[in-house]
Amino acid sequence: MRWRAAGRATATALAVLTVAPLLVLPVRALGDVWRAPALLPQQWGTRGLDVVLAPGTNTATAITNSLLVAVVTTLVAVVVAWPAARWLATADTRRRIPVLIGLALPLLVPPLAIGTGLAEWFLRLGLTSSLAGLVLAHLVAVLPYVVVVLAPGFTPAVRRAEEAARTLGADRRQLLLRVSLPLVAPSLGVASLLGGLVSWSQYGSSLGVGRGIPMLPLVLEPFVGRDPQVAATLALVFLAPAVVALVVVTRRTSRLSR
Amino acid sequence: MTRSRAVLPALVVTLLLFGGALAGALRTSVAPLPGQAPSLAAWRRVLGDPAFLDSLAVTLAVATVATVLSVLVALPLAALLRGRRTVQVLVTLPVLVPHLLVAVVVVLWLGPGGIADRVVADLPQVVRAPSGAGVVLVYLLKEVPFLVLLLLAVWDDDVDRRVEVAATLGVGPVRALRTVVWPAVRAPLVLGAAVVMAFVLGFLQVPAVVGANDPVLLPVYAIDATRIRGLEGQADAAVALLVASGLALLLAAAAGVLARRLDGVRR
Repeated sequence: MRWRAAGRATATALAVLTVAPLLVLPVRALGDVWRAPALLPQQWGTRGLDVVLAPGTNTATAITNSLLVAVVTTLVAVVVAWPAARWLATADTRRRIPVLIGLALPLLVPPLAIGTGLAEWFLRLGLTSSLAGLVLAHLVAVLPYVVVVLAPGFTPAVRRAEEAARTLGADRRQLLLRVSLPLVAPSLGVASLLGGLVSWSQYGSSLGVGRGIPMLPLVLEPFVGRDPQVAATLALVFLAPAVVALVVVTRRTSRLSR
Repeated sequence: MTRSRAVLPALVVTLLLFGGALAGALRTSVAPLPGQAPSLAAWRRVLGDPAFLDSLAVTLAVATVATVLSVLVALPLAALLRGRRTVQVLVTLPVLVPHLLVAVVVVLWLGPGGIADRVVADLPQVVRAPSGAGVVLVYLLKEVPFLVLLLLAVWDDDVDRRVEVAATLGVGPVRALRTVVWPAVRAPLVLGAAVVMAFVLGFLQVPAVVGANDPVLLPVYAIDATRIRGLEGQADAAVALLVASGLALLLAAAAGVLARRLDGVRR
């Protein structure tokens, strides 16, 4: 009994230790004047936000670019992943593993190698310095996650419902819009969220293929040494989708365990 | 029935972009200018560069230390978190947080003028430390939760039931961990460790923010080459990145073979 309580205390301490360090971000972002050795800023303010939103800087553009690329990449990934996920749900292990390895292969090599290597071709196709090139470079990283998270959504119940709808004369469009999509929606939501997050976090591939297109992680990095307040402000923007994802996942798990 | 050609779009897109990227990097490494006759000059230059060899050695050392430590911390942590849903969700938060963001948070806490610096004077610096401590710390914070999540996924109720059966047969908890849980989790753990090591070999954003300035890790070596040495540097960068890619793929292949063998032993 005492062992259990100790375990619970340690687990709670760990959870606090995970979340608490992030609280430095809002404090740093709102600290206009914060000289050592004070533990809290001497003067609070929104200078960080002003710099981020100032006209003529590329930070605001970077946020919009990152968001746009994440949304488009995720949409493309979902369309490409859908049939593969569906197949994966029923395939036997022996055939599933080689496919999974093939999909995961690009995750193993440096993203900068993927980015610069693709740039070599995109240069010839006129795709460098375009958002399309970024979408393709991000797609390699996003696709495996979307496929793997989407696959469990195609449960036997979904397949039975599709079979029944087909017997009742539903055409392909009706089948997709009225039966498959609504039933797979929860998995599709989580897969899209994770896919978007993976694209949002891409650093090396964006740097390699984008050749100067401002993206959020790329414009954030130089501020870390130069102006920590701006870095912290951008970091909060950078963190926001992860927090949204966590809330969604938590609500899902709590609904499942009820 | 779903036919197996359903996986083709995903597989073709992935392998085309992946193969294209590696072929592109190879092309840059031998002929950085369009229309240029291919030459191995960049390969000779980089493989003979003492700074590159230092970078390679340090990268491998940091990757090994970060991976081994992540595994050693993740195992007991996963055991502790079994069955604690809410805490599990919170501890897995770092999996969703980008690497760059973890590096930024580490700088704000432990960097020069950071919170720790204000509380304790003369604290040894981990950020940009030549030992690579800062890089190892960021990867620990990111990859331990990743490995915990992986362990919890394979350490399922079935494993727990077998532990219970073992307990009724008089097997103590420590021995049950060794004889029941370990054989069930070790193969996925080996694969997870290979992924962690590949991340350390390849990610630029972590050493760019907290890594030492000399020697630099391989991805930083590559980006420095493109920034400082122009077109020639692009070929050099491609060589460094291809070496890192080759190492990561070799490592993953070895992990795959090992995992299969371990899994075979269990069955």
